[in-house]
Amino acid sequence: MSQLSSGICRRLNEAPQEEIDQLASGHTVQLLSIKKVAPTPNSTTATDRFRIIISDGVHFVQAMLATQLNDLVANGDINKNTVVIIDKLACNFVQDKRLIIILDLHVVSRDEEKIGAPTAPPSTQDAPAPIALESASSSVTATSSSTTPAKQTQPRTGPSGRGGRSVYPIEGLSPYQNNWTIKARVTQKSDIRTWSNQRGEGKLFNVTLMDESGEIRGTGFNSVVDELYDKFEEGKVYYISKARVNLAKKKFSNLQNDYELSLEKSTEVEECLETTSVPKMKYNFVELSSLEKLEKDNTCDVIGVVKEVGPLSEITSKATNRTIPKRDLTIVDMSQYSVRLTLWGKQAEQFSADDLPVIAFKGVKVGDFGGRTLSMVSSSIMTVSPDIEEAHLLRGWYDGIGTEKNFQSHTSGSSGASFGGFNRNEMRHLSDVKESQLGMSDKADFFSTRATIMHIKSESISYPACPTQGCNKKVVDLGSGWKCEKCDKTFERPEYRYIMSMAVADWSGQAWLQGFNEAGLAVFGKTADEVHEIKERNEAEYNALMAQASGVTFNFSCRAKQDTYNDQTRVRYGISRITSLDYREEAKHLVELLKSPWAQ
Amino acid sequence: MNEHISMRVNSARLSGIKGRTVRLPCKVLRLSDDIAIVEASDGGQVEIQRKNVDVTATYVEVIGSVVDASTIKAMATLPLDSEGEIDMQLVNDVIELTFESRFDKLFPRYKETEPSMPTH
Repeated sequence: MSQLSSGICRRLNEAPQEEIDQLASGHTVQLLSIKKVAPTPNSTTATDRFRIIISDGVHFVQAMLATQLNDLVANGDINKNTVVIIDKLACNFVQDKRLIIILDLHVVSRDEEKIGAPTAPPSTQDAPAPIALESASSSVTATSSSTTPAKQTQPRTGPSGRGGRSVYPIEGLSPYQNNWTIKARVTQKSDIRTWSNQRGEGKLFNVTLMDESGEIRGTGFNSVVDELYDKFEEGKVYYISKARVNLAKKKFSNLQNDYELSLEKSTEVEECLETTSVPKMKYNFVELSSLEKLEKDNTCDVIGVVKEVGPLSEITSKATNRTIPKRDLTIVDMSQYSVRLTLWGKQAEQFSADDLPVIAFKGVKVGDFGGRTLSMVSSSIMTVSPDIEEAHLLRGWYDGIGTEKNFQSHTSGSSGASFGGFNRNEMRHLSDVKESQLGMSDKADFFSTRATIMHIKSESISYPACPTQGCNKKVVDLGSGWKCEKCDKTFERPEYRYIMSMAVADWSGQAWLQGFNEAGLAVFGKTADEVHEIKERNEAEYNALMAQASGVTFNFSCRAKQDTYNDQTRVRYGISRITSLDYREEAKHLVELLKSPWAQ
Repeated sequence: MNEHISMRVNSARLSGIKGRTVRLPCKVLRLSDDIAIVEASDGGQVEIQRKNVDVTATYVEVIGSVVDASTIKAMATLPLDSEGEIDMQLVNDVIELTFESRFDKLFPRYKETEPSMPTH
């Protein structure tokens, strides 16, 4: 017969929070019963939850088995009267109730008789109240049953008063249990976002909630935004109940949880003042050198020293035509890699770090512009100089040796453009571009190349455009003025913008590239208005200008995409960035290339 | 064909090829009527004998025949000045690369006319 750790049950029942953590492991107890908690109706597949009674031979207490241990029940490894050693447990406290969760255990022996005659431990203020779920613990000895049922039937499904609430771990949430309350910290609250698509429009916000067992995302739509948005404050802890547990849309979140919460009108949120047991941010950092292994659009956590802060710039979103501020940072870490990370909106504007701080980023999105880049999304969290071990390590490393190191870059040196800069490492020649069928699939492909302009289609190199900042729509000549359909305004004169087709060639082949205003400016060195005027005034001068532009070599960053025009589908190569050659830079790169192992 | 080779060199590579024609990209340090003292791309100084040859810019390429390991008799010069300052380190890298054995087929090679120290 095994020796049980007598007295442990009583301690578990009576000890304050701090002690429980220490009591956690190494105690031998007997499992007097294991009962599956009945899932609510309408459940299809459910994660089972088991309520167990653990005894130390003298007393017994109720506890929950963490879902990660469910297999042990399924395999029959643990069943009635099995003696186990608890490896890890947690205890959630709520008001005057405590919920013990066994997180890890190992079996000592099975098929023993019930050891001792355990009774309910002496009741202190907090009698051993388990989660008030429907199933009664009928396997417990008769002496206890009189006291416990009274507690069990305490209405937890009742009104949202303070009484009768016991706390579930986030990790245990599933769509098949409705009567739960979680106590969690809001680690992140997004801005209110509005959307509109064919099906309608609305607004929403997200929060990330965390307790010691895990994290989960909550989303509220439309009227719920009005009700709950202000209630949630980042960093504070709340009791939340009566939200709907759904399957998580992994696309929108990088949290580990399979589920997420839908905050509804009936969801109850109450601020909790007893916040000690809820932990702060949890990270799962990825080294910058291994970013290549992550697929584009994944999210990850990184931590690094800010090596460079870019200037605040603006981008016009093609979709919404609004300007969005952005700022690029370059961060480095001990894997000796550097990567560019983009901040948006308010964060970009407010960013000010003149020193070179360590910043931890949670849930940033991986992009593949010119290798790998990172970008903040609405659910990302940025913490400057966090008080965690990794941050201190980085600080020490960087101050010591990091400043002199040369970092391998995931992005090429010369770019800050939105479409992915000119990436010298991934430059392709034109026959390669065509053979690889870039742009032939449904999505756009990006590439960089160096080529010489052979010919510009000079018949139409510009169009009259709306002078309104940000609007580049073609304006129509009404005779009395030029009208822009989108802005609904008429102008005396339009502002011409370049739109050109150019044949470019390199040693391997030729291609037609489409250039826009930026490209035209680089090629001609004049504005489209000026060139248009020359064309009207003096054809010979115009032709000379065209000829002058031929034979010049540039570095191009292009976007290849399929286009259908009058039933014809063709790949079009659009120029997103064009730069003149800095021969010195290029030559240096060539020398490096020759010295590299590739050239040996 | 052999007589018309003119490789780009720096000061170190002048040894062992007396009498051969070379091109030396360099920076003019001192100029007088008959002589110019220049600094080659590897930092070494060379004397240029320049009777009747104009030197018109700060950076030039001197084309001439090798008198000895530190003197060239100039035949012509090419100005190398441009908008940005010429990067002599880059020039030197390229010069050294052209002499590497893996590029023997791309560049003509001098036959040495006198014993010299190994250059690498």
